[in-house]
Amino acid sequence: MKSLSAMPSWTMPALGAALVALGFVADPRLGAILAVWLGAWGLNAVMASRGRGAGVRFLVPLLFGATLLGLWEMAVRLYEISPIILPAPSVIAATFAENTPTLWADFRQTILKGALSGYVIGCGAAFLTAVAIDRSPFLQRGLLPVGNFIAALPIVGTAPILVMWFGFGWQSKAAVVIAMVFFPMLVNCVQGMKASEAMQRDLMHTYAANYWQSFLKLRLPTAMPFIFNGLKICTTLALIGAIVAEFFGSPVVGMGFRIKIEVGRLSMDMVWASITVAAMAGTAFYGLVAVVERRLTFWHPSQRTG
Amino acid sequence: MKRITMTAFAAGLGLTGMAQAQDTVNLQLQWVTQAQFAGYYVALENGYYDEENLDVNIMPGGPDIAPPQVLAGGAADVMLNWMPSALAAREAGLPVVNIAQPFVRSGLMLSCWADTGIEEPADLAGKTVAHWFFGNEYPFLSWMSQLGIPVDGSDGGITLLQAGFNVDPLLQRQADCISTMTYNEYWQIIDAGVSPDELVTFKYEDYDVATLEDGIWTLEENLEDPAFVDKMVRFVRASMRGWQWAAENPDDAAMIVLDYDETGAQTEEHQLRMMREIGLLVEGGDGRLDEVAYQRTIDTLLAGGSDPVISSVPEGAFTHVITEAALAE
Repeated sequence: MKSLSAMPSWTMPALGAALVALGFVADPRLGAILAVWLGAWGLNAVMASRGRGAGVRFLVPLLFGATLLGLWEMAVRLYEISPIILPAPSVIAATFAENTPTLWADFRQTILKGALSGYVIGCGAAFLTAVAIDRSPFLQRGLLPVGNFIAALPIVGTAPILVMWFGFGWQSKAAVVIAMVFFPMLVNCVQGMKASEAMQRDLMHTYAANYWQSFLKLRLPTAMPFIFNGLKICTTLALIGAIVAEFFGSPVVGMGFRIKIEVGRLSMDMVWASITVAAMAGTAFYGLVAVVERRLTFWHPSQRTG
Repeated sequence: MKRITMTAFAAGLGLTGMAQAQDTVNLQLQWVTQAQFAGYYVALENGYYDEENLDVNIMPGGPDIAPPQVLAGGAADVMLNWMPSALAAREAGLPVVNIAQPFVRSGLMLSCWADTGIEEPADLAGKTVAHWFFGNEYPFLSWMSQLGIPVDGSDGGITLLQAGFNVDPLLQRQADCISTMTYNEYWQIIDAGVSPDELVTFKYEDYDVATLEDGIWTLEENLEDPAFVDKMVRFVRASMRGWQWAAENPDDAAMIVLDYDETGAQTEEHQLRMMREIGLLVEGGDGRLDEVAYQRTIDTLLAGGSDPVISSVPEGAFTHVITEAALAE
């Protein structure tokens, strides 16, 4: 980095211009793509280094995302890439707009019914199990290995079995999600409940606090950062579990079902539209948990700002 | 005697072909190695491809492999595909062309529990049907559309389930009916201890809604290259020799397939039985596409009601050029 900053300010633009020129010589299409890429990069670099305030902080990633989409669109159009290999973002957006009712039905089936119910049940059960383990060292020796064992089962092996047990509906998808989220959540909760320091526990003891008082006032709050780590990891696991489980049997609705059949029909634009829904749902889900975390663990060093 | 003539023949062809290096052909199957593809494995094992100066690489498929996509990606020169799926791909913007059609009959069926009261296809209304998707659902959707039975879960319609490639949903009674092939899944049900009397089976062939299966397809642009066309002529000729041999020697053909099954998942009994059923589907065919069957396939697919598999009659989706040249000698 030192050598970069030591260079005169005109070196980077000059290098960029040379690269673009080289691109144009090799292939005009490549030159155009390089020009847009470097232009947007330069603009972002200037904004990031000079700009201040919330506006710029928001604008920089936005410009980055827009540039990526622009480059994608240009590459697909200029090189006439087959829509079966990679559809253009504009085509995906149009498909998305046309099929909103279908995508919404899939979202409800997979995310709201399958993933969310499995997430709530799985994480809830893991938390309660962690409390039980916390109370009894005997369980700690017995239950953790069992949880580990369940977590080690590959989803492609368990999903068909769970579909056979719980039917083709969302219930079997929730079961897969439970199996996936239980262990990561359990480990985090158990670890979190051990996070309070001996001095703090001794203090509670001198106050004559009983188990539940010291649990609620001390050990649960100190466990919060761990619990939220678990909850955040599990958001993405729940999504993956619910979508992949649909590959092994489903009614004719759902995001995994859609991705699977549309690949078979070579409608890759629809596949990408479903992926977009999954990405947005995953980000929103994760963001929601992060917001709740900030509210509840405001005291933790990781949440302090400025 | 047969052996000797074949060796002599091989030697003769081998001499003429010795001058040039072998041409590579990558063939994408639409399912795992099994007797459904016996003709190609026989052609490979018996050296028919060698005699045509071809180095054929047979790539097995599986539940998550869509052959048209492999073709589009350039990893395969030719694919085997059901016509409905191939034509849907063609309409989606992948110009595939049928160059030969070894299978003259369809092996697709619907198998139902007899005790559900289903006696004819119209009785399917209100029942639960488990079907494969991934391009295999088109014949079923077209058929139901022709019968006027909705499959979108509305009242009086069929509850459609997307099933994996086994017959468990039927055995577990999660579904009243399940899609089966004469040569594969039907026997899985029987092997599970179900007596044929307990089942009612509808063959697509019997209801005039059969669509062509297991054709040989390649990309249109490939056929503009005379060298590629020549390669395909030799490939189809050798493959059809393989099919003829497999049909005449079903038991030996099944054993050859077993030898090539690298997964070791196939059993001898199942493959012997499959080969005999497959023999019925290829019997009487010489690779040339029967235009009557082609037209029936198109009509069935176009009759898809509100959600047809293809929306217009395809143009140039097949060619006789390859098979005519292959059969000429």
